[in-house]
Amino acid sequence: MKPPLKARPTATQALAVAGQTAPSLPPTQIDTADRPSTLTMRLREGTVAALSATARERGLTIKQVVAHALAQAGVAVMPADMEDRSPRRR
Amino acid sequence: MSVLTMATAKGCTGKTLVCQVLVCALAGGMRVVALDADPNGALSRWAGRAYEGPPFEAIAEADETRLAHLIAAKAETADLVLVDTAGFGNRAATVAMTSADAVLVPALAGEADITEAERTVRLTEALARAARRDIPVRVLLNRVRRTSLARHALGEVTAAGLPRLTASLSDLVAFGELSYSGRLPDAGPAAAEVAALVNELRGLAWLPDMTALRNADTTTSQEGAMAPARKGAQT
Repeated sequence: MKPPLKARPTATQALAVAGQTAPSLPPTQIDTADRPSTLTMRLREGTVAALSATARERGLTIKQVVAHALAQAGVAVMPADMEDRSPRRR
Repeated sequence: MSVLTMATAKGCTGKTLVCQVLVCALAGGMRVVALDADPNGALSRWAGRAYEGPPFEAIAEADETRLAHLIAAKAETADLVLVDTAGFGNRAATVAMTSADAVLVPALAGEADITEAERTVRLTEALARAARRDIPVRVLLNRVRRTSLARHALGEVTAAGLPRLTASLSDLVAFGELSYSGRLPDAGPAAAEVAALVNELRGLAWLPDMTALRNADTTTSQEGAMAPARKGAQT
């Protein structure tokens, strides 16, 4: 039998021991799901055309172009909104 | 230096009260950090709005990963780290118990309190075995009255073989007032009970040795006073 250790465990060790000993315990707080919502904007046809052209040029979706621009402007855009998640058609 | 975790899977047993009492009794003589791992935030709210005594650091953190790192960091700089946990089985409490030098399990006289106190003591023992270190644990009877119910609860604790403190906290108005006033009375039954609790925790070496702390402070201040002279000698 290994002798008991005296030292307090590191954070990583404490997390591992707690996870192994009581794996079924829930977290203290559960973050609410960040579910998708819809934002509709009325823009001039020229702006929409420019957005479409930029998206085509960069190989992105229009939503990605907007999301990337907002992120660059300092808006806390969720990572999922930066990705191309449009459904793939066969 | 010392990490003392208040834990039990039953709510409303006095975990926050014990933290508040210990802060009031000890913050004047040592660097106390209170980590509030209960999402209700009662301890950190009390620290910000009600507490009027000597300064101490209060931090609210219910996420188990961040809490584990916080305990490790604060244990390096503070004399005493108190961790208040939520009153149900949860990961943050388990991590706080694993990281603790000792675990205090407050319990009232009800059946659910004693049952959950036993569960918490057994979990602490399991965590100690898994971590291969000694994590002493004691039940602290709270809101005690001189009734046959209290005697029965004491009998249940003894019958279950649960280690308990001799000190206990009675059902006193002063402890209820503490949550609003942020102050403990200097004299009277509440002060005597808190003194008995602190003395017993000191006897168990669950609290830092005040003499050692004073000596360390003296050494540090002497070194601090000598530092400019050394610097001057070099230049």
